[in-house]
Amino acid sequence: MSESMIRKELVAASAEPLVLSLLANGESYGYAIIREIKARSSHELQWTDGMLYPVLHRMERKGWIQSHWVESETGRKRKYYSLKERGKKAQREHRDQWLKVHAVLAGLWEGKHV
Amino acid sequence: MFDLDQAIADWRRQMAHQGITDPDVLDELESHLRDVFEELVQWGLNPQEALEAAVRQMGQAESLTVEFKRAHGRIRALVRRLKSFALGFVCVPMPPVDRLSQSAREVLRSARAEPSRFNHDFLGTEHLLLGLMKSETGTVRSILQSFGVDREVITREIAKIVGIGSAHDPTMAIPYTPRAKKALHLATREATAMHHTHVRPEHILLGLLLESGGVAALVLKRLGVPIQGVRDAIRNVWSDQDAN
Repeated sequence: MSESMIRKELVAASAEPLVLSLLANGESYGYAIIREIKARSSHELQWTDGMLYPVLHRMERKGWIQSHWVESETGRKRKYYSLKERGKKAQREHRDQWLKVHAVLAGLWEGKHV
Repeated sequence: MFDLDQAIADWRRQMAHQGITDPDVLDELESHLRDVFEELVQWGLNPQEALEAAVRQMGQAESLTVEFKRAHGRIRALVRRLKSFALGFVCVPMPPVDRLSQSAREVLRSARAEPSRFNHDFLGTEHLLLGLMKSETGTVRSILQSFGVDREVITREIAKIVGIGSAHDPTMAIPYTPRAKKALHLATREATAMHHTHVRPEHILLGLLLESGGVAALVLKRLGVPIQGVRDAIRNVWSDQDAN
């Protein structure tokens, strides 16, 4: 089972582009973001839930995202994050870089059985 | 009877004691914890199991603290804290009783009454600080009052940062936290550095300020009490005492 778990360097490197790209689809809050990452990766991206928050706070300090508290009807409060203009730019840059790296790797693997 | 709110308050206290003290961050983590808890209850776990599993899923505060400090860019402070944190978990011995002055011993005795006021089941740097404020000699109290800080203000700040615990068993002995022991160790070092035979309450105050990862240091920082200002004030008090 551990072969299918993605190594932590990749998990760390993909954190920002993942969160930025998810937020590009609309504002969200921590728990929902983690849930979606886990679902989309079929749980192969193993995040310790709490680890998401330093990532979010760092990006907020960089001015890429902003947050506001929302109170639900049941009285539960959740901190929602959304992309700012600078964040959209950062998200595009992340995407370009990932695609470049992917292109080089895919070229090496093309046609070869690995 | 499992009380979710009390269990969560206990979890917040633990997080604060392991270094995540910003109330806003704690609120956000708590909100996440509650969401995970609700999901696990829907999966069929009973409330107590669900909360334990949710806490495990959130992750250990130690690793989170490292990540938070990295995210907030204070690398040097991080290294310092890791060192003192690690040192705190190597068994730091309490200073020998005969090294403590009468008033310092009295401070430690007063401090023991503090945790129960908050339903805390440990004696941390914040309780030592409150013990200092009750000291009969009053040196520390006057120094801190000159910076506009009194016992009430300190108590409120502690409650804000660490919170009130769930009901506490008065028959259980209350252990010192590693940081509290470390602060007393630093206090002893200060006394030695000043060539003082006995550790006085003022050394304990310095020890609390130097143990920057402790709640007491955080409280004093948030209340705007400057370390250098306190050192100068203590030095003045001592030179007055020596002159007399």
